[in-house]
Amino acid sequence: MAFVLSCLFRLMIWALLTADLSAINLAIGLGLALLLPHARGPGEPLGPTLRALLRSLAAVPLAYGEALALMVAGDREREGWIERPAGDPNNRLLIFLEVFAITLTPFTIVLGLSEGSRGPHYTIHQLRPRRRRTEDTQP
Amino acid sequence: MSLLLLGAGLVLWFWGTWPLLEQGSYLSKLHKLSVSDTLGSGLILLGLLLRIPRQWPLLALALLGLVVWNTIFGYVLARCSQPGELKR
Amino acid sequence: MTLLLWGMVLALLIPIAVVCRPCSVWDRMAAFGSIASKVALITMVVAVLRGDWMLGLVGAISLSAGNAGMLLLANLLREVER
Repeated sequence: MAFVLSCLFRLMIWALLTADLSAINLAIGLGLALLLPHARGPGEPLGPTLRALLRSLAAVPLAYGEALALMVAGDREREGWIERPAGDPNNRLLIFLEVFAITLTPFTIVLGLSEGSRGPHYTIHQLRPRRRRTEDTQP
Repeated sequence: MSLLLLGAGLVLWFWGTWPLLEQGSYLSKLHKLSVSDTLGSGLILLGLLLRIPRQWPLLALALLGLVVWNTIFGYVLARCSQPGELKR
Repeated sequence: MTLLLWGMVLALLIPIAVVCRPCSVWDRMAAFGSIASKVALITMVVAVLRGDWMLGLVGAISLSAGNAGMLLLANLLREVER
């Protein structure tokens, strides 16, 4: 299943690159997609990967919202370090998608993946707009 | 509509690139750079896409490449600029 | 539209100014990555302005190739600093 998906992805890149949907061009693209080396390894469960893919697609509008929030907040920002549970580190595609989704949003950047006692988790650097109320009580 | 998108992308560019000149922590500069280079450039490409819809395949490829490469670039810079194992 | 192009060139001058003055190597890397994507975007905009699609092809290729060399350089620098 993952094999079919990766072939479809390569075929899509080929079609976008050549901008030509004739049968012979698609056949060439399909041949290339099948012939290029594929990732080897044990079959990985597809469910979490698909869910991560959906989440990284949903991260794009979220990223615009967060960028707007940062711009509105101006200079009042707060930096911090947080940790967030991660997926199975053996599934490389899953890790890639999760890192992509977290780093795309302007509030957060992934700094590393570490194995803790509570399972794998990301170390994340976070930049958040500070709320007006907390600023009033702080000075 | 296209001009609006292009202008919004330009505003994001200026806002996100300006902190590079200031004295701030490196990671917060990276956060703002990701705003400007990924999201602002994405808006500009969308504006161009509205202007010439005939060339959509190449522009879509450019958009995909831009978002993925810039995001991963930000991640790699942030990861590599931290010396050794993370110490807080 | 021409005004927009002037604005983009002004925005491009910011990271160039950062590179020109003394700063740490990581600031420099971030500024160079920013310059790369900005120049590619300006190429695309100029292509649309002039209606010259060959130029747009150059911009699209340089965007989708990305700054892979920069990623390798960052990894190398980290290994050297360790």
